[in-house]
Amino acid sequence: MVSAALRALPLRRPLAVVLVALSLVGGLIGGLLRAGVALPVGGAAWVEPAIGQHAALLICGFLGSVIGFERAVAVRARPALLAPLLSAAAGLALLAGWNAAARAGFVVAALIFVAVNAVLVARQRAAHTVVLLLGALAWLLGNLAFWTGYQGPATLAWWFGFLVLTIAAERLEMTRLMRRRPGAWPLFGAIVALLLAGATLSCPSPDGGGALYGAALSGLALWLMRYDIARRTVTTQGLSRYMALALLGGYGWLLLAGAGWIGLSLGQPTRDLALHALAIGFVLSMVMAHAPVIAPAVLRIKVQFGWPFYLPLGLLHGSLVLRLVGGAFDGHLRATGALLNVAALALFACTMVGAAVSWRVMHRRDAGKPHGAGAAVVLPTGEREV
Amino acid sequence: MDDSPVPYEGPDALREPIVEALARVVDPEVALSIVDVGLVYGVTVTDAEVHVRLTMTSAACPVADMLADQVRDELAGVTPAGVAIRVELVWDPPWTPERMSEQARQFLQW
Repeated sequence: MVSAALRALPLRRPLAVVLVALSLVGGLIGGLLRAGVALPVGGAAWVEPAIGQHAALLICGFLGSVIGFERAVAVRARPALLAPLLSAAAGLALLAGWNAAARAGFVVAALIFVAVNAVLVARQRAAHTVVLLLGALAWLLGNLAFWTGYQGPATLAWWFGFLVLTIAAERLEMTRLMRRRPGAWPLFGAIVALLLAGATLSCPSPDGGGALYGAALSGLALWLMRYDIARRTVTTQGLSRYMALALLGGYGWLLLAGAGWIGLSLGQPTRDLALHALAIGFVLSMVMAHAPVIAPAVLRIKVQFGWPFYLPLGLLHGSLVLRLVGGAFDGHLRATGALLNVAALALFACTMVGAAVSWRVMHRRDAGKPHGAGAAVVLPTGEREV
Repeated sequence: MDDSPVPYEGPDALREPIVEALARVVDPEVALSIVDVGLVYGVTVTDAEVHVRLTMTSAACPVADMLADQVRDELAGVTPAGVAIRVELVWDPPWTPERMSEQARQFLQW
């Protein structure tokens, strides 16, 4: 059954990649236009939804689908693929202007995703699988709010809650490898509770809810800085060190994003900081950290890690400084920063393609050599049980 | 079963090359080999196959297949021709931090 599910995956892969990429590109173009970047897109029909639905496209259409595929690969069950396929299709529907269908599609995708996570909790009843399930429920709540046409800040709070809880759960799982410090686990539980309370409160009381939410984000950043294994792995080399630096940089932005949410609740002009230190500085840095490991697992390709990965990562963080610090004083700097944010993502995509090509070249060269460390061999025999 | 980092059953001549091959499979997230993290529950070698029982720290881990592929690749280099390689993913008993090697514990500041 397992191998049947995995064999089915390749057929859908190109379609899925294109669908997910459409949400990503649409959402990014919408974001650039929002930030005041002049783009030659004219008055195409998809431009208005791209601008208006920037967050839904990127959080639900793109990240929701990517996370859904990742979880489907982990759960090893074919129906789990329905969640990301549906959310990716809903992203496309949103761009096409089929609003009602898109919003309903996101709700159904999240329902399936919740079920997938419930299966994982049943399989492994652990703190991190429960937090992953909470993240899935947060996505469902955000999508339900979006479906009803509600216009307040709770939708974003739940959507970001989905991303933050998902990442927090995955990091929590890694901290199992570090010695358990007394108090660390109750503290983590309290931070998650605060985040959920903040998101819940943000509907009836945006300011109070936003302040709690911001405190939870900053609290989580401090917790991760203190307890994550990245503190140790940053002293290593290669891919492990790159991942650790991307993680630690992300935690810095998460800390600032929390301050941004608190500032916003106090009437300060920190909206860009609240949303984009979180989305770009924390979430996308996390994506860049893990893509060299997760993309090969999900897409069944192999990549050769090398120093070029530091270029898009550096550009992402540098351009975010320009956008948020420079942008606080000058709208042009904000637009330039936003454009460079997107350039960092494009450069990252090129780096991934280059790393995949590089792996092929290196291993073709190794093919003639005797077996040894690093030499990959295509195995003619052996049952593919896993 | 024995107390070595990789419980092994099979010809003695293959024990060292197989354990060394497994130790070359690194979990990049922790910068430690699967042997040091304690993910290899056992290896059984017969005339027909090398059977590896492998676990993951999390059921929600999407890299299981990739690590299993790397195990196959590395073992292919040290396994006699004609012997099949079978990697089985097992969840019972669940992984616990006690399975980590002394070196891994030191690195992660236990």
